Amino acid sequence: MREIGIDTRALEHPEPLVQATKILQGLTEDSYLYMLHRKKPIPLLDLAGEQGFKVLSREDAQGDWHILIAKDPDIDLEALLRV
Amino acid sequence: MFSQNGLSLDQAPPISVVFRFFALGALFGLLGGGLVLYYQSAIFDAASPAALTLTHTFTLGIMLSFMFAALFQMLPVIAGVKLTAPVSTANFLLYPFAAGVLLLLVAFNMPQQSWLFGAASLLLVPSLLWITLLMLGKLVRLRDHSSSSKGMLIALLALGIVVILALYMTLSLAGYLEGGYYPEVRTAHYSMGLFGWIALLIISISFQVIEMFYVTPPYPKLVSRYLPLTLFGLLFVTTVTAFWVPQLWLLSHILTALLLVGYAVLTLRRLSQRKRPIADATVWFWRLGLSMLLLAMTTLVVYRLTGTALFGNLAEIFYPAFALSIVFAMFYKIIPFLTWFHLNAQGYFTAPMMHEVIHPKTAMKHLYIHLTTVVTFLLALFFAPLLFVSALLTILSFGWMLWQIVHAWRLYRHTQKTGEKFEMNIA
Repeated sequence: MREIGIDTRALEHPEPLVQATKILQGLTEDSYLYMLHRKKPIPLLDLAGEQGFKVLSREDAQGDWHILIAKDPDIDLEALLRV
Repeated sequence: MFSQNGLSLDQAPPISVVFRFFALGALFGLLGGGLVLYYQSAIFDAASPAALTLTHTFTLGIMLSFMFAALFQMLPVIAGVKLTAPVSTANFLLYPFAAGVLLLLVAFNMPQQSWLFGAASLLLVPSLLWITLLMLGKLVRLRDHSSSSKGMLIALLALGIVVILALYMTLSLAGYLEGGYYPEVRTAHYSMGLFGWIALLIISISFQVIEMFYVTPPYPKLVSRYLPLTLFGLLFVTTVTAFWVPQLWLLSHILTALLLVGYAVLTLRRLSQRKRPIADATVWFWRLGLSMLLLAMTTLVVYRLTGTALFGNLAEIFYPAFALSIVFAMFYKIIPFLTWFHLNAQGYFTAPMMHEVIHPKTAMKHLYIHLTTVVTFLLALFFAPLLFVSALLTILSFGWMLWQIVHAWRLYRHTQKTGEKFEMNIA
């Protein structure tokens, strides 16, 4: 699986959402989005969920959020999580 | 955009709800400019019908419309409060509210027609109390509060008190009540309205948006937890006790000014700690607004201590300048984002980007118009004919805003009618 990583922790709202939606529009079956964010981006998670993507989000010990989004419904996102 | 854990728009109201309250506020702003043209320097006499009319055009027509736009947008996304049937709820408020404000403005100018105060109350009080109680009820039932949602709850409590105090005054003016406590109620009404409602709501929302929009360090816990309650508690205790000791308002206004000065300095400091070096128009609107708050509180204290009318007039210009600057800052963040996000959520591939909805240079031009308006109002205190320019600039400022709303709405509808949808759905 090919990871498309973005670190949006220093970006002002709504740039993280803009970047993530652009990536989602081009996501293929063999790739997934790995996003780092200061907050839990609920609109992105809702949008991805509504569009049928597989989504996983988890907060790490530093308070940063790790968001994984994939098109393949069988992908094990837990295994790809780095928390 | 936000929940206490992060961002959320899943429960946001239809875009038209937010747009129509912003548009109503801008329309009242145009009326405000027209009123300055009509009344000229009479607006600087605080007891005149001109000043009363202009003050309520600002506080009710302009600010309350904008603040309801913010509340309808922010309550679901900051606090997770879901309003049932948001469009009809908004309409139940909007039409009686708009008609009630207009009637009240007419009533100030035709005091011999005292029934107008009663009619305005009939339209304004039930609609405002209903929406306040509705939102309060939802907020009270929240299990998981953030400092922002708590602050909004307290600000709405203050709004409820402002409306009840206003009812006493309008019923007195209409002749239904004797009005023996009119002076005490009047002071409590404007103090609670300006500081307990307007300032407190701005403060509560800023606890979320400053950190999120501008990537700053968060507010100190002590401030975000206790400032709203302290400010409201101070105003509430003074409202009650001043019926027996009216002089307490002097102390209360000084303490309020100290709290708001502290908040303004802290927020300016936070904005200076942004990670991004470039400041867009919304950052400058915040900086301008907070500077205006500092000046408003300083001149208010000097006025309360010395009684010099000039300082009272200065505070009357600086305070609206503060509130409007923050509203414009929020407006230029909310409108482009909502337009872009709602279209994206609907799957439109051709959704305009935020800078295409409102270009950053357009917002910057509005900043210059707004700043020039404030300066001309200040200069008009010394050279009254300048009020003609201030009035025209006020009309230009709100006309500018209204045009951005119309432009964003037309783009939104155009994309819905002609746009291509992308297929992200794998199902």
